[in-house]
Amino acid sequence: MALTEFWTGSEKYLCDRDLAQAFHMARVLGMPLLIEGEPGTGKTELPLQYAADNNLELFVYPTGSKSNVDQFVAKFDHVKYLRDSQIEILNAQRKEEGLSTRLSTGGRDPEKLEDYVIKGPAAKAYSSPNSVLLIDEIDKAPREFPNDLLYSLSHRKFIMPESGQIIEVSEENMPAIVITSNREQELPTAFKGRCIYHYIHFPETNTMREIITKHYPKVEDKIVDVALDIFYQLRKIGLERAPTTRELLNWLKYVKKFSTQEAVDKILKLEGIGALIKTQTDLQRIQKMILKDKDDFGRRSTAN
Amino acid sequence: MFEGLPEKLKSYDLPADVRLLLLLRKAMDRGLVKTLGDIYNVLKGIVVKDPKMMGPFTRAYYDYFLNIDIQNGDRLSDAIRRSETFKKWRDDNLDRFGDNIDTEDLINHFLDDVHLTTYDIKEIISGRDIWDNDDPSQIDSPDGDGPLGAQRKHLDQMADYSDLTLEELLERMKEVMDQQNSKHSGGSHWVGTGGISPYGHGGAAKDGLRVGGTGGGKMARKVLNDRKFFPVDMDSIINDNNVDAALASLKGIIEESAHDELDIPETIDKGLKRGGLFMPEMKSITDEKLQVLLLIDNGGYSMDPFIRIVQTLFRKMKTRFAHDLETYYFHNTIYDYIYTDAHRSKYIPIKKILQKDPNYRVFIIGDASMAPYELNATSRNTYKELVAKFKRTVWLNPEPQRYWHHTFTIQVIKELIDMYPLTPRGIEKAVQEMNRKQA
Repeated sequence: MALTEFWTGSEKYLCDRDLAQAFHMARVLGMPLLIEGEPGTGKTELPLQYAADNNLELFVYPTGSKSNVDQFVAKFDHVKYLRDSQIEILNAQRKEEGLSTRLSTGGRDPEKLEDYVIKGPAAKAYSSPNSVLLIDEIDKAPREFPNDLLYSLSHRKFIMPESGQIIEVSEENMPAIVITSNREQELPTAFKGRCIYHYIHFPETNTMREIITKHYPKVEDKIVDVALDIFYQLRKIGLERAPTTRELLNWLKYVKKFSTQEAVDKILKLEGIGALIKTQTDLQRIQKMILKDKDDFGRRSTAN
Repeated sequence: MFEGLPEKLKSYDLPADVRLLLLLRKAMDRGLVKTLGDIYNVLKGIVVKDPKMMGPFTRAYYDYFLNIDIQNGDRLSDAIRRSETFKKWRDDNLDRFGDNIDTEDLINHFLDDVHLTTYDIKEIISGRDIWDNDDPSQIDSPDGDGPLGAQRKHLDQMADYSDLTLEELLERMKEVMDQQNSKHSGGSHWVGTGGISPYGHGGAAKDGLRVGGTGGGKMARKVLNDRKFFPVDMDSIINDNNVDAALASLKGIIEESAHDELDIPETIDKGLKRGGLFMPEMKSITDEKLQVLLLIDNGGYSMDPFIRIVQTLFRKMKTRFAHDLETYYFHNTIYDYIYTDAHRSKYIPIKKILQKDPNYRVFIIGDASMAPYELNATSRNTYKELVAKFKRTVWLNPEPQRYWHHTFTIQVIKELIDMYPLTPRGIEKAVQEMNRKQA
């Protein structure tokens, strides 16, 4: 029976309620969940944490510019097949020559084509009930890749190359499939139509605070307050690349080593801001703003 | 049930067909829908495929299920306050809140009620005659072969829709609808003005059990107040808001070709490792080609606002594809020379341009508005030569299309070169037309 209990996150991972609902719905309906959203909002974390928390088998397929369905589903190992079939001939020759030792094919039988099929993450996930399958950053894949998956997604089966073996999974045993995308390219409509779609909104202050607590339970509230304040201000000023959750966590990782007061000072001085700001133009812009702030401050104090 | 829903969604420019109903029904059968808010969430997962659809979807949802009409630029609370549904709910619930509660709070309660109150939807529906008649598929009729039972079967079969074509589905859906129409024609509104409100007298809201979490009410508010959840206006002259949409259409000019090639070094390498067993190793080659000539009218104030945005647009292309992209400038119209710098101090004869590879795509950006005498024979001839040499030449005009027929020179140039408005949709069309032509 499919695991369809409502999962709301684990000790380490705070799953946004809306995301949890969408994930739940996808599992109940036996459809893949397609998550889009800004980078660093924990898209990839969801399946990883879900699998870890529930002790489920996890299969990951990181997509890249060279991804194709062969890697994802299964491919036929022609080389081994050729080698093994030659071994048969060799063995026959050896026998003729009166040699008693035989060469081994490692238990594979060239008569059985399925021995030479190397299964990819998708075929493995479909053959183990209730597993978790993550297709990470599908937008990095060539355009044909998502289209090639349409059949297997709606019919829940893969056909193995050469052997013709069919790997089929019932709707009840359907693995929880999570697909993530950074929207670098638009996915085909037909593909999106077969998925439950969820767009991760950037977490609000309160949620962010909870996320921080999950990661660094010991960090003082005061540090978090100050850091969050600056973090959200930075996001608001319209930088080329707005800092994300991941970067905020990295920044806190750096400052939390210090005592509370030191850490607050460091945050206010924007020390280690390189953890948050990733482009040169943004960095210059912020430096300019800091200088301007100081000028204003100087003028005000002389006026008094 | 909800036969009218796809139609309603379509009227908000959302993609929807009967498969949506089947999925929704499947979700209900599996207990995913307990509240009206759940319907919001479930439908959101099925219908919305882009954050830009959130806004229209939220509007369609309130319109369809609650009869709340949210106008452009409306805030959710204003639309709710105006609606009959809310007034009726308020009248029914006055005793719950007393007199001195302010409207904003009341709206919050209303949203909570709508989105978060849980009750068994099927029970409520079947408990009401209007629904009994309107929606026979919801009844567990004991005689499985009656007309109602037959319909139920219909729906059950359709729930597994993967083996059916869309045409078949539409056909069956229509059958069901016809039958229902002949028995009873009723709205599908959950809470409406027609007296079928489950929030009315003794309705579920009062006895209902609250569930926690976000039923969508909060999200709905957030969505409606944020422009990023609405689609960009594809028909307005490009600006900072829709420049990305324009870029997306413009990307269509990149020519992609892919083919497999024998990878000789790899074949040798692998072959040696296999002890002399050589097998062909293939590699796939993808080529991306982008050859663009950009001719911009940067004379006169009328063009000023557009130059920056056009340049941003093409620069974005250029950073992604460091290929051929050349920009030239002219004032009002092109004669037999063209400037190579934005200050129009250096120029080259147009012949130089005409010697280029005919594969170049030419974009001329200008308002094509000038005094008639400026567009003389030389200039007209230049345009003819450009089009003859570069089959894929288009003119993008920032002047709104409805004014085109007022300007004589636009009329003339339009006859010579395919002209499109400088809007995301215009660019999209221009690119489609370009791609149809072979250089």
